[in-house]
Amino acid sequence: MTEARAPQPSPRPPDDTVGLRGDSRPKFLASSIRVLELTLGEMLWSRRTVFMLLVVGGPVLIACLLRLLASLDLTPFGGDGGGSQPRVTGPAIFGLMVWGFYLRFTVPVLGVFYGTSLIANEVEDKTITYLFTRPVSRGAVLVGKYLGYLVCTSVVVLPSVTVVYFVIVPVLGGGVGENFPTFVTDLGLLVLGLAVYGALFAFVGAWFKHPLLTGLIFVFGWEPATMLIPGYMKSFTVSYYLQGLVPHAMPQEGAMSLIRSLVQAFQTPTSVWSNLAWLVVIWLSALVMAVWAVEHREYVLEQ
Amino acid sequence: MSPAVVSARSLSKWYGQVIGLNDVTLDIPSGVVGLLGPNGAGKSTFMKLVTGQLKPSQGSVEVFGRPIWGDPRAYARMGYCPDQDAFYERMTGLEWVTALTRLYGMDDAAAGQAATRALDTVGLSEVASRKIGAYSKGMRQRVKLAQAIANDPDLLLLDEPLAGMDPPNRRRTIGLIKTWARMGKTVVVSSHILQEIEMMTSTILLINNGRILAEGDVHQIRDLIDEHPHKVSITASDTRRVARSLVEDPHVLSLNFDGNRLVVETDQPDTFYTRLTALAAQGEVGTIDEVTSPDDNLQAVFEYLVKQ
Repeated sequence: MTEARAPQPSPRPPDDTVGLRGDSRPKFLASSIRVLELTLGEMLWSRRTVFMLLVVGGPVLIACLLRLLASLDLTPFGGDGGGSQPRVTGPAIFGLMVWGFYLRFTVPVLGVFYGTSLIANEVEDKTITYLFTRPVSRGAVLVGKYLGYLVCTSVVVLPSVTVVYFVIVPVLGGGVGENFPTFVTDLGLLVLGLAVYGALFAFVGAWFKHPLLTGLIFVFGWEPATMLIPGYMKSFTVSYYLQGLVPHAMPQEGAMSLIRSLVQAFQTPTSVWSNLAWLVVIWLSALVMAVWAVEHREYVLEQ
Repeated sequence: MSPAVVSARSLSKWYGQVIGLNDVTLDIPSGVVGLLGPNGAGKSTFMKLVTGQLKPSQGSVEVFGRPIWGDPRAYARMGYCPDQDAFYERMTGLEWVTALTRLYGMDDAAAGQAATRALDTVGLSEVASRKIGAYSKGMRQRVKLAQAIANDPDLLLLDEPLAGMDPPNRRRTIGLIKTWARMGKTVVVSSHILQEIEMMTSTILLINNGRILAEGDVHQIRDLIDEHPHKVSITASDTRRVARSLVEDPHVLSLNFDGNRLVVETDQPDTFYTRLTALAAQGEVGTIDEVTSPDDNLQAVFEYLVKQ
């Protein structure tokens, strides 16, 4: 057995004030990035990622199926719409999938499941102790975990949307090149949606006693329900502002009219910049409140 | 007398109706202080209050002269080894300790060096590049210790640090703790085993049911314990032969078989341990695999103290 070796003695007297070493503490954002680097691997290779892959795999499978049907001339969207063009084009189907599968389902669901568990996961695994006993603020820990969530979800969701784009858009007369700017806007919109929902549910996770249930009620209860209520209630949702940013022109007739009317229920007469501004306000407010809640909340680990 | 590194004033913590810590007032100066108490006595609650993980329900706790709750600055001079067996299992020991050390504001190179040094100190250099998930219980204890010492803290709080370690590493860790104390650092070590604490320090805090029952010199407590019947559990290749060798000894009060273990009650634990070591060395009773002192010894002593 080797002899135990002691670490080098500290030059400071033990009664030194806190400040000296406190000055070398990393700044808020630097701390957050270090927390992100520490926890990203654990987040990326967790069981939640498998769940996430299943969620984003659905639209890819549907896109492949539609492509197959189109190649066999069996698509329900084809046919002559009175002229030589098909009634529903590939870009329109892609637009519907972005709205229906991603913005209305995948993004909020990932936001709920990841956002509410940013700190809860560390508490459950009892690894939070290591993060909360370092000279970084608890808020920086939360923001680091939040950035990790954004990276994790983006690297899974965006490739899925890209695959769907290249599979669906060329179907029924769509051009990949000419629709590319819209596609890039879609990607930006999805990241924005992930950011806003993630921040909102990070706050829910930090503040509420049953965050997952609260989040699911918000996404599948409150947001759809407010669409049925006339007036300003829908402005208390995230989807209202997100939908106002969707760049796609929806199908104008035929089988898609029902979907179109549903989409239009979410659409708003407000400008793109107004919607964007509201989303930024919600995002920042939620994140600041989440940071505040984590800074002030006590986490008791089960023995 | 050196100023207190940790000060608690009327410190209380309760979880709903359950009292975790009850009206504790104390000062901890530099050196090693043993926090001794049975499981559930309030040791971990005290540690969590001192490390600012829990907010006092009543009273205050200051570390380096400042309230610790809500102020992460003191962590720059503090290292904490928690009792829970929790890690980022997919990371290697070196990656994990380095990543945690970076949170002290060190750059990558400095954090890497500090982590390597800490892992070397606890004897994990050879397995530093192995994933923590593949570590043994003893290695996991030591990597927890490494993350606590990597920033060269002035205050070390070690919650049951010897649990799960094999005898050589226990000795090594006890040696390290003593070395840190000689360097002027403050080390607070919790344990429910008196003999462990005794090997590190003579200054102890006795805690039970959330209250500090006594603080001061371990020898006074030792005398009380020596007067009190003490149980020792022995696992050996042939417990009946061990029992036959011990049955005539005057300091053995009773012998009981509990499955494949022999439980001995003695009123002179020191004499008994010396006798047992001699027996093991002679090899006449086969191999003695494990000797443990059940937690109820301490509980019995506390009950005895409370009745005094």
